[in-house]
Amino acid sequence: MIRKLPFLIFGIFLTVCASAVFSSLPLEIAKPDIGIPFIIYGIFFLSPAEGLFAAVLFSLTREALSGVPAGSALFAGVAVALSCIFLKSRLYIESRYTFALVCAVAVLTESFIFLALSMLAKGETKDFYNVLVFAVPDAIETGFLGLFMFILFERAKIRYMGRV
Amino acid sequence: MKGTFVIIAAVLLLVLSFLLFTNIPVFQKGYARVKSGLADGIGPVLETIRLPMRAVSSVVEGYIDLIGAKRTNAELKETIGKLELETQKIPELQSENERLKRLLHLAEQQPGRLIAARIVGEDVMNWFKCVLVDKGRSEGIRERMPVITPSGLVGQVIEVSKWHAKVMVVNDTNSAVDVYVPGKNTRGIAEGTGQTTLKLKYVLKNDDIEPGDKLITSGKDAIFPRGFLLGIVIAVDKNKPGLFSDIDIMPFNNFRKLDEVLIVSK
Repeated sequence: MIRKLPFLIFGIFLTVCASAVFSSLPLEIAKPDIGIPFIIYGIFFLSPAEGLFAAVLFSLTREALSGVPAGSALFAGVAVALSCIFLKSRLYIESRYTFALVCAVAVLTESFIFLALSMLAKGETKDFYNVLVFAVPDAIETGFLGLFMFILFERAKIRYMGRV
Repeated sequence: MKGTFVIIAAVLLLVLSFLLFTNIPVFQKGYARVKSGLADGIGPVLETIRLPMRAVSSVVEGYIDLIGAKRTNAELKETIGKLELETQKIPELQSENERLKRLLHLAEQQPGRLIAARIVGEDVMNWFKCVLVDKGRSEGIRERMPVITPSGLVGQVIEVSKWHAKVMVVNDTNSAVDVYVPGKNTRGIAEGTGQTTLKLKYVLKNDDIEPGDKLITSGKDAIFPRGFLLGIVIAVDKNKPGLFSDIDIMPFNNFRKLDEVLIVSK
């Protein structure tokens, strides 16, 4: 676990970088969920416990850097992680492309979980249109990011975690 | 066995986050402390990252500004000539202004102390509109403080950590501001849509409002003081069924290009 901690810190650093970069862009663009590739990789290639730990850490970071209501990002992140734990034996990720696809689907699922949570807990969701508009572009962007992250994870695994 | 333990932990976390989302005060307090601790750690990192970003963006902006600089220069020279003529009238206008103010017994409204802050980050999710500023609890920033620029209202502070504060921008779907049209007896609630424009709600169809009307905060929402510019009415639809008109507002601020803001301490 200690050996994997620098990767989580790197992921959080990337999330903070994304926040700083978005504020200097004059355009409204899709924002990838940087934590998702870490969570998916953790669950499918390391262990469910590490994936869940990553989910909690990234969800909290997102809540700290976003205007989301308290608990909503944590709920969505943990729900995605739990779904992946259940799907671990049924889903086979054989290449970076499958990994990217799973990442994209996870972002879509996260959006729908958030909407369902809002409807369930508060009986309404003012953000319905906003969440739906950005769900697909965010998923595509996270998918693209997943392609590169998978290569990075695999290389890091061979180089630094070969003896784990 | 280990897998079962992880599943139980995940389910417990789901229940906990659901309770947090429903705003139960007992859970909220502890969770706010955890989040604040994390934000305290993130603050300096965010500020450090923003420094090279600012340098790069100023170089790019400088280059863009050079394009068409010659034409702008000629236009500015012409404008200076006109302004010099106008300047001659200012002392006369100032004395007239003072005289009229005294006549009407208008006390100049003093806003609270203004704290200048720089934008260091933006919401990492598209679902909400918020920005992070580089002033926090240590500079006296508190929740619900209004945030403005010389152009108009930006939003309100919703979360404060030691190093930075989170500002909910007025176009966030959870934002609502009580506004009125100066000179007309028309009031309404400007609500964020998550898009560039805002919606003015609860304005009756027979109320006097038309495109081009400026909207100013009324101070009746107990968050934003009276007199801050919010935006301009761009469309009024009175053909919609129901009691109220469908009104679109364009805020004076371009929230995508904010760099510095002023926080009004109460």
